[in-house]
Amino acid sequence: MRLPRLFRTTPFRLTLLFLALFAAAASAFLAYIYLATAGEATRRTDEDIGREMRALQAAYERGGVNVLNQSLIERAASERPFLYLLMTKDGKRISGSIEESPVEEFTGAPARASFSVTDIDVNGRARKHPARGFQEQLRGGEILFVGADISEDQAYVLKIVRALWGAGALVIVLGLLGGLLVSRNVSRSMAGLAEVVTAVRNGDLEARAHVRGTRDEFDELAEGLNEMLDRLERSMAGHRHAGDAIAHDLRSPLTRLRARLETAYLDVEAGKGNAEEALAQALDDTDGVLKTFGAVLSIARLQAAGQAPDQNIFDPAELGGDMAELYEPVCEDKGLDFAAEFAVDLQVRGNREFLAQALANILDNAVKYTPSGGAIMLRVRRRSSGEVEYSVTDTGPGVPDEDRERVVERFVRLENSRSEPGSGLGLSLVAAVAEAHGGRLELAEGPGKVGEMGPGLRVALILPRAA
Amino acid sequence: MRILIVEDDLEAAEVMDRGLTEAGHECVRAPDGEDGLTAARGGEFDVMIVDRMMPRMDGVTMVQTIRREGDQTPVLFLSALGEITDRVDGLKAGGDDYLVKPYAFAELIARVEALSRRRETGSVQTLLRVGELEMDLIGRAVHRQGKEIDLQPREFQLLEFMMRHAGQSVTRTMLLEKVWEYHFDPQTNVIDVHISRLRSKIDKGFDKPMLQTVRGAGYRLDP
Repeated sequence: MRLPRLFRTTPFRLTLLFLALFAAAASAFLAYIYLATAGEATRRTDEDIGREMRALQAAYERGGVNVLNQSLIERAASERPFLYLLMTKDGKRISGSIEESPVEEFTGAPARASFSVTDIDVNGRARKHPARGFQEQLRGGEILFVGADISEDQAYVLKIVRALWGAGALVIVLGLLGGLLVSRNVSRSMAGLAEVVTAVRNGDLEARAHVRGTRDEFDELAEGLNEMLDRLERSMAGHRHAGDAIAHDLRSPLTRLRARLETAYLDVEAGKGNAEEALAQALDDTDGVLKTFGAVLSIARLQAAGQAPDQNIFDPAELGGDMAELYEPVCEDKGLDFAAEFAVDLQVRGNREFLAQALANILDNAVKYTPSGGAIMLRVRRRSSGEVEYSVTDTGPGVPDEDRERVVERFVRLENSRSEPGSGLGLSLVAAVAEAHGGRLELAEGPGKVGEMGPGLRVALILPRAA
Repeated sequence: MRILIVEDDLEAAEVMDRGLTEAGHECVRAPDGEDGLTAARGGEFDVMIVDRMMPRMDGVTMVQTIRREGDQTPVLFLSALGEITDRVDGLKAGGDDYLVKPYAFAELIARVEALSRRRETGSVQTLLRVGELEMDLIGRAVHRQGKEIDLQPREFQLLEFMMRHAGQSVTRTMLLEKVWEYHFDPQTNVIDVHISRLRSKIDKGFDKPMLQTVRGAGYRLDP
């Protein structure tokens, strides 16, 4: 038989374990209290009886059996709680408040006894009371028994015992109830998390754990789980997107390549084409496809990973200097004025290789689209927000406001750039690199229109402050 | 040169074999890491071209094994895994260079030849000499026909690399990787521009141009 679900939960089992430990400890404690209280009551009674016995013996010493008898009768008649019996040497009752000695065989040595006395209560009912007493032989041979009704003491002890039992039972019941309550609560939270895990396992990546807002460890766990699922979902979407993108993006260049090869083949077959030229062209086309493939793959991987790998802290001006050194001759070659400006003492955290590629892409674009006689400026500075910004400003035709968001998308090439070689992936890669560093890409108007040129473009790669 | 090609794609190995043989090298082929290991242990090779992902034993394990055994033959890793971390893994395992598939054949030959050269010039040199060109690595001075040529630091590095690989084709990618230490593919002709600046400094005013452009591959410095 399987236990109900709740009883199989860890919290409930822990509750039972603690309850068992507690019960054991409580039993030991209760036993100690019982022994201490009940034992104490008996000892006190014995002391009282002993005192009474000594008082009577003192009376006997003073005036013999007559004085003792007198004292005994007086005492028995008073409100004292004791029971008395004075007997002759051979056990005949002389006087006292009980009829016969509860000590069955008297050898002469002091003896003690526990017995019961019958009392008639106000309703005429006989009630037995527990009692105990001592018996001693006086010097003249007479036997004296002094006892006491211990029903009150016992009742007191019983009360304590009952109270202890009650307390124990209450502890167990309350503990069990509390345990059940806690277990149910915990189980419910766990069940919620387990449900999410099951849902995700069954393919529902959108399932999320309920956060109750109690800021306890279950909330923390739920939040952590949700965060993990968010990342997982993003990453899965990224991978899916990457696959789609590669399939989609390579179809057109490959179709073009195939068409060109086919035409060339037909031409060569017809004896009018130049096979060598066609092959060279095909090789160039293949390189183009491979380049596109590489770029799409890099973008897709970065997007899927959600974060650039191998990030280190470095000085952004140093990378800026490297890129300036790489591109300055290119600019000069094309008749462009190149300037660079780097703020000192900055730090960024990132993958230098990816950032270099992103900057190279931005500079490539600037060089490509700025007509000779123009100017390009590379800048590294800290924004007031603490972010680090790489910016490249050119005096080319710029990108109209309405197109700025669009040019970042993959394969978007504006009308006036169609004549230039390129895949339309450059800025997409820059954006992917920026995002993989927790940063962003911003496009704005350049320095404005100067003569025939402008308004130019300002591309900024903004990286978060290095923590 | 004796070259060991460890590649599980037989067609790719065949193409490589043919191309390298045509370029005047002797090739031995192994279809996986284990056979590659046996071949590497058995024969003296000048360069090994090792694919990373292969059945039975992958390239990284194979190279780690021969390196542990003390074999210092230069290794060129050839792999479809082209991420930066993949390169780092390959180089850490004992590879000397890393080429990502698909590659241009000219690139492969250039890299293989560069690797063999590096082995020969293992000792520390302070003076490089190629034909009329002399480079003092300590004084950081360059002379041609006794005339001093003034170079920027990067131009100096570029020329040093070209001189160390004199007579060999060197690709643009190799230059970007070895001189600038970047592994991306700029769209504009950045490397060409730098080379043409260097060329104007070392060849201008002299009757014989030393820095040649190799069509479809890159550049070559001839004595």
